[in-house]
Amino acid sequence: MKKTFALAVLVLVMAAGSVLAEEPSGLDVVAEEPSGLELIENAYNRPDGEDMQSKLTMTLMNSRGDTRVREIRQFMKDFGDVEKSVMFFESPADIRNTSFMNWSYTTVGKDDDQWIFLPALKKVKRISSDSKGDYFMGSDFTYDDLGDRHPSSDTHTVLSRENVNDEPCYVVESVPVEEEYIYGRTISWIVEDKWVVVKKDFYDEDDELLKTLTVDEYGEIDGYWVVMHSTMHHVQRDHTTIMALDDIQLDTGIPENKFTERMMTRGL
Amino acid sequence: MHRFLTALTSRPWLVFVVVFAVSAAFLAAVAGNTRMETDLDEYMPKDHPAFIYSDEAEEWFDIDDGIIIAIEHTDGIYNHGTLSKVKGLTKELGKHDLIDRSDVTSLYTADNITGSEDGLDVRAFYSKVPETEFELDALRRGVRANDMVRGRLVSEDETVTLIIAELGDDAFSQEFYHEILDLTAAYEGPEKLYVAGRPIVEGTMAYLAPKDMKRMVPIVLLIITVVLALVLRSPKSTFFTLLVVVLSTLWTFGLMAWLGIPIYAVSTMIPVMLIAIGVADGIHIYGHLGLYQRATPGVSARDGASEMIRGMWKPVVMTSVTTAVGFISLLTSDVYPIKYFGVFTAFGVMAAMVLSLVLIPAGVVAFGLPGARKVKPEKKGAGDIAVAFGKGVLKHKRLVVVIAVIVVVVSAMGATKIWINSSFLEKFERDSDIVLTDAFINERFGGTSTLNVILDSADNDAMKRPDVLRLMDEMQTQSEMLDEVGDSFGLADYLRRINMVMHADDPAFDAIPESAELVAQYLLLYEMSGDPDMLWRTVDYVYARSNVTLQLKGDDSKTINRAIGVVEEFKPLFEELGVNVNYAGSGYKSLIFSDLILKGQVQSLILSLGIIVILLSLMFKRISAGLIGVIPITITAIVSFGVMGLLNIPLSTTTALISSIAVGVGIDYAVHFMERFRVAAKRTGDVVATIADAMHHSGRAIMFNAIVVIAGFLVLLFSAFPPNRALGALVSGNMFISLLGTVTIMVVVMVQTKMYFKK
Repeated sequence: MKKTFALAVLVLVMAAGSVLAEEPSGLDVVAEEPSGLELIENAYNRPDGEDMQSKLTMTLMNSRGDTRVREIRQFMKDFGDVEKSVMFFESPADIRNTSFMNWSYTTVGKDDDQWIFLPALKKVKRISSDSKGDYFMGSDFTYDDLGDRHPSSDTHTVLSRENVNDEPCYVVESVPVEEEYIYGRTISWIVEDKWVVVKKDFYDEDDELLKTLTVDEYGEIDGYWVVMHSTMHHVQRDHTTIMALDDIQLDTGIPENKFTERMMTRGL
Repeated sequence: MHRFLTALTSRPWLVFVVVFAVSAAFLAAVAGNTRMETDLDEYMPKDHPAFIYSDEAEEWFDIDDGIIIAIEHTDGIYNHGTLSKVKGLTKELGKHDLIDRSDVTSLYTADNITGSEDGLDVRAFYSKVPETEFELDALRRGVRANDMVRGRLVSEDETVTLIIAELGDDAFSQEFYHEILDLTAAYEGPEKLYVAGRPIVEGTMAYLAPKDMKRMVPIVLLIITVVLALVLRSPKSTFFTLLVVVLSTLWTFGLMAWLGIPIYAVSTMIPVMLIAIGVADGIHIYGHLGLYQRATPGVSARDGASEMIRGMWKPVVMTSVTTAVGFISLLTSDVYPIKYFGVFTAFGVMAAMVLSLVLIPAGVVAFGLPGARKVKPEKKGAGDIAVAFGKGVLKHKRLVVVIAVIVVVVSAMGATKIWINSSFLEKFERDSDIVLTDAFINERFGGTSTLNVILDSADNDAMKRPDVLRLMDEMQTQSEMLDEVGDSFGLADYLRRINMVMHADDPAFDAIPESAELVAQYLLLYEMSGDPDMLWRTVDYVYARSNVTLQLKGDDSKTINRAIGVVEEFKPLFEELGVNVNYAGSGYKSLIFSDLILKGQVQSLILSLGIIVILLSLMFKRISAGLIGVIPITITAIVSFGVMGLLNIPLSTTTALISSIAVGVGIDYAVHFMERFRVAAKRTGDVVATIADAMHHSGRAIMFNAIVVIAGFLVLLFSAFPPNRALGALVSGNMFISLLGTVTIMVVVMVQTKMYFKK
């Protein structure tokens, strides 16, 4: 009810704004509308359980239609100031049991810690990398795209409200605070009340469309909104990544020692 | 035919009106529909397997020619200023409409992968430009330790660094080149910037060659006009002879435009051919008229015109038809622009024939006979020189034969050494900016030219197998032993580097990993932590194919062939492993293209000789005429190839076509001479008198023809563009040898075989 009222006010104000073009639009009237930052924070902080495990099928497709399919078993757990995840490759056969661990810190500016275990080398190696814009395992998703980017890294503006698949969404534009970021700006469609980003467009530094993210399927599991199937299309390279989650289990109480170098070497 | 042509002379103005109406129609077509084809890919035969494969491979691995910008700072590049410029230029290039950001490579974009006991470290060499001595030194040490970058992006002496921007096909234009030059100029001082790379070379050539031609052609025409006027001694005759050449060229390009066929670079040879061949008709026809006027003073213009036609229509038609057929044999070429060149030149020759037989007599009727010459019997005219020469030849028959045999044998030996050079760079002056810049970069880096070796297996994951990778690595090592191969780059380099990094930078592990699993896992690791876009330039999505890039010091055929020679030795070894070896890239395509042209040229030359033998045999009703008639062509072709072979002058795509001129001109000379010889033999029945007549009549005209064209084309020796100089020398040389071959050895053979003197 309140929302409907706010919307009605917004529509009225916008109509008035267009009639009285000279008048500064009365932003104070829509003060009840959440700010861009609030919306992005809502999405960033959306509860997704203490821990989660699932099977991830990552399909990479190039412009010629060649595909590479990788099956991964992944575990994630939120430890408050750090989110730890570990993933084990199941297929293709020659990389089976290769595992990868990532610790991502909520502290702004603190780089992720990463480890990799190569079974053919029988060694765990730490990877340090300076670029948060790195692509995740050869996919079209960067670590940031997978939810790693802190809301304070960008300035956010609400552009409009639109329906996506018959669901009301806020359209928010985010422009990086720092220069030298891979994106010049991004536009997110965030479903109201569920705070799931169902669509996102990424523009490069020249403001040309770089990538588009489409969430093909999301749903409620144990009271949490979880994205199950999403497609990232890298428009400029004409390359596509499809991420599909199956067998999703939430809050199963994954032990903390799952996220250790020793466990990485154990395989599945 | 004869009667029809003679009837036309009674209506000269009707002839003019019709000719100019047709010409106007063709002119309108040229004005409305002429299109230059500058895209080099359009020249390549698209259905040729080597091209199809190369084009596919270029797509699989994103193989594009790159512009190379070298930044030199004589005190070393590791200072804040130079590094800022590298960053600034890299970013500006990436923003250019024609350049993809991800296609720009420099020290600023490169990843530095290093290893330690417990891990691996992937970071940019720099993103914020280093300022302090400490930061700069760290960068220097990083580059020194990384042989994926040292020697590739930074020279060993650390005074030059490169920025490479790959360009999509056909993106290059003169405007773009100037934009790049302006851009780099803004970054000059104290650094010096150089721009090189195949797109620059190709683009500059495509621009320079027509520009130079535009400047030279009017001078060539002017000289031809002057010499023609001296030879014909009549402004009217000069005008109509040139009009025939100009209109036949216009008709040819008009037909081309009307049919919607674009003008290719080789099409610019058509006017050259038509000038060399077209003036012959006029010279011979006017020559005949001149002699007739001298023999029967006081003839009317109508009589003169009728005599021109009566005496000359047959040889003019015969020479034109055989020449046209010779050019039509170029249809056997695999290269479309050359097929067009052959067909349209043939059309032009026929147009010149029609115009000569119609326009020249009409001109005589409408504007009167050329000024009657003062008969100066005391003074030796060109005709007398020709007669004396002919008699000399008769006297020293044996010497002529011996010399001819020696020349042909030596030339034939030389011709076996002929090679065609597909190099673009070697078309420029040795001291031109383009050549100097190229040499500068070649001296300090692997090479500005590339050859892509494509390994191709039917099995997915073949490129993960250590045996395949080791062979690949060995092939690279062997190739790099050649002086011509400065560097090479492929999947093996990545794997050796990662293997070493994962073993704490221990050089003992600078080798191909031991198992296919480890290779697969390293590749996954690289995908996760490095810049996979670079990796995908060396291996395809399913690991069935791989691209090894050899960096070459030159783009000439010898260099490419030497590199291919080494790779070919590995071919059977790869085949044992189920891997095929192929090649790709623009340098390779040019090489194949050139070979195709040369092969096609030789084939069509032989074919046209065969056809001409048959045609001449039919025309003169004896096989000996056919065989003797091709003597000048054969000698001209062999000598022209022989001289180039002996002087180690490589053929290029356009100059290879010049051998067609041997056919066109050689046949003209032979037919005119033979026809006159036949007529004189019948009349006089005496060998000496026949030779004297033929020399006086045809020999003189042939000589005039040669002099006019040689004088015109020698002007090209002063061209600023080396290929145009070669063109001038070749056309002149061909004309001269055709002349000599006709009036010496052909005469001797005709006399010795008692042609036209047998009962």
